[in-house]
Amino acid sequence: MSIDKNTLQSQPLRLAFLLITVLLIVFLLGKPTSVFAQSDSARTLFADNKAGILQIRIIDITSGSKSAIGSGFVVNDSGLIATNFHVVQMAASKPEQYRIEYLSASGAANSLTLVDVDVINDLALVQATGQITPVLPLATAEPPIGVPVYALGNPLDLGMTVVPGTYNGINQTSYHPRVHFTGSLNSGMSGGPTLNQAGEVVGINVSTAGNQVSFLVPVTALQQLIAEHQLRGQGVENIRQRIGQQLIADQQKKFAQLLALDWPTIALGEALVVNELSPFFRCWGGSNSSSDKAQLLNADRTCRSEDNIYLNAKFNSGVIEHQFFWLEADKLNQLQFYAYYQRLFSDFAPGNKAREKDVGDYQCDSQFVAAGDIEARPERKTKAVFCARAYKDYPELYDVLFLQGTVDDSRAAFISHFTLASISRENAKAYARKFMEVAQWQ
Amino acid sequence: MAVIIELLGWGGRRQRYFTVEGSAVTIGRSYQNDVVLGDAHISPEHLRLDAIDSTNGVEGGWQLTDLDSLNGVEVVKNPRAPSSLLTNSLFTSSEPQEPESKILLGEGAELKIGRTRLRILSDSHPVDPAKELHHLEQDVGRLNRLSIWLPLFIISLMLDVGSLYASSYIEWQWKNVLSTILGTQAGLLMLALFWGGLGRFLRSESHFLSHYCLILLAGLAYSLAEWLIALLGYNLGTQSVALVLTPLIALLLAGLLLSANFALATNMLPRQRWVSALGFVMLIIVVSITAQVSQWGEFSPYPSYFSGIEVPALQFADAESVEDFVAGFDPIFAEADRLALD
Repeated sequence: MSIDKNTLQSQPLRLAFLLITVLLIVFLLGKPTSVFAQSDSARTLFADNKAGILQIRIIDITSGSKSAIGSGFVVNDSGLIATNFHVVQMAASKPEQYRIEYLSASGAANSLTLVDVDVINDLALVQATGQITPVLPLATAEPPIGVPVYALGNPLDLGMTVVPGTYNGINQTSYHPRVHFTGSLNSGMSGGPTLNQAGEVVGINVSTAGNQVSFLVPVTALQQLIAEHQLRGQGVENIRQRIGQQLIADQQKKFAQLLALDWPTIALGEALVVNELSPFFRCWGGSNSSSDKAQLLNADRTCRSEDNIYLNAKFNSGVIEHQFFWLEADKLNQLQFYAYYQRLFSDFAPGNKAREKDVGDYQCDSQFVAAGDIEARPERKTKAVFCARAYKDYPELYDVLFLQGTVDDSRAAFISHFTLASISRENAKAYARKFMEVAQWQ
Repeated sequence: MAVIIELLGWGGRRQRYFTVEGSAVTIGRSYQNDVVLGDAHISPEHLRLDAIDSTNGVEGGWQLTDLDSLNGVEVVKNPRAPSSLLTNSLFTSSEPQEPESKILLGEGAELKIGRTRLRILSDSHPVDPAKELHHLEQDVGRLNRLSIWLPLFIISLMLDVGSLYASSYIEWQWKNVLSTILGTQAGLLMLALFWGGLGRFLRSESHFLSHYCLILLAGLAYSLAEWLIALLGYNLGTQSVALVLTPLIALLLAGLLLSANFALATNMLPRQRWVSALGFVMLIIVVSITAQVSQWGEFSPYPSYFSGIEVPALQFADAESVEDFVAGFDPIFAEADRLALD
């Protein structure tokens, strides 16, 4: 697209562009030496390693043209290349429609075979037919926070690029470890390496939150995947099955951890609700207590784990979401209050996106349940809803949605809700049990 | 033998008739005619009919003579034209006839002169047997009173306002409420006016208030049924009750209402009335099913669970234990698996 635009530019515009470029270069050369030193080492790193960094292209077999691009880098001397799972995902799920190809800095191109994936950490290994040099060494120790690091890749198909930035350590707010990299990653750089000044890979470019906040997969995850691959000695035959196993294992580990915890609580109105379960839970809340126009009191608290496991462009998983509402009728009469409560209760949706190709329809059941101290407070009525939808490609995994509402005749109500993406039956049951036990109107 | 000249109104219904003794009848605007009509497009002496007796098994009729009228005579229908005289066939078309032209008319012939339609009959023309007056017509006819309509109207207004008030959780504003209620009541009024108009046209009596009362009653019955169904759904915790019962009740009420409306506004026999009402209900079913077919089996990323009334005082169903509730997940998972296979 941008190339097309350039060719359409008129002569004076081109002259102006040239002038600005020249001025920019003069300006950059006049900058203090520290930046100069940084760009100097960036230049060295780039020159030394660019042959080992490849553009990964997903080619539509029928049309013969590329459908997606990303970056990758050579990790051993037999032509094994690391990239992101999300770069090769289309070829992984539809090998009959897409093939994988690389394009090197020197212009050499050849086809690649997908040999393994780590869907949890968004990594993939692809195998070239021959040797490609140089092999990029993987860092054995985590660099200290604050050191300059350099992300390499092919942003927006503009050609091989180096982005200097700062290593900010493993991010504590996500269940799956991610390195916080201060620098601008752009699409197309996904799967490329981020190198320290010694030229060792410290992370794999994976995502960005914009404004210089970007994320890398820690190199340890890649080391583990390579080790597993070498132990196996050959490519994984059934990638879909492999992904399913990884999802099962990941949720098993995650929920074993969560269910073993003593869940912390916090007050919301007269109810106790689940607080931040672990550092990777983020909670927000609010209320309308200061609004004059409000007819009733509505206080809410929402907690989410921002872990998104990328399964395809329109299907992600792994999210955990808790939501709590405390309502008091205030100016409303009982019937009006129940009408509001009913409206709120009927409006819950899952926390992850999915398509018909990926999941089935939700199946739900709603029941009156005897939650809390029902004998002491017979006027309180509790209704609970449980919905599940099954994953089409990954058996034994479900997205579940739970909703519980308690309302009484004293003009107050409490709603608690969670959604879990990619969970087994047993874990969903245990989670619901624990959730119902902890989050309660006192 | 006397000739009957019927003056036809809208839809071919008789408005007035004239009985003329003798073998010749003159029709026109002047007072010397046997049949005097007020239509300004009719000539003072417009036409003359001369009786022809039936002979040799050939049915009789009348010979039409246009008396040099300005706008002529149009023969609209001539179903039983005397066949033996057809060969003369002077009545070739519905074009205005030539002056002094002669046309033979049979029993039941219809003419148009000026803007007036006439039917020519003999006084021995047979009429249909009398139709039995159905008790329903009398019963619902009694609703045609202000003293019945007014309380019903007030109840329905109060129910409208009450249900809006009970379901409103934002600041109460009469202007919003009024527009909603006016919209609903205007719809009901239009419907009642339609039936009243139809009755006026077909039976010369509108029964407007009866129709209005019937519509209000059906509306009240539907509201009550809907509420009971919602209550049932709430206690059973399922939407399927409402999905099945609501359309059933709606169709039943629509059928009853239509049948009563037909009874008041038309001359249909009970059987015809029921068939028409049923046909109309069927039409509604077909239309709504067609509208829904396109959505059947469509994937939705959102869960659909019961959401109806939530009033703790109306919960009569027993609550189950948390353990039982969680044990109930297994069938849900099994069903979710089945849905994913589809």
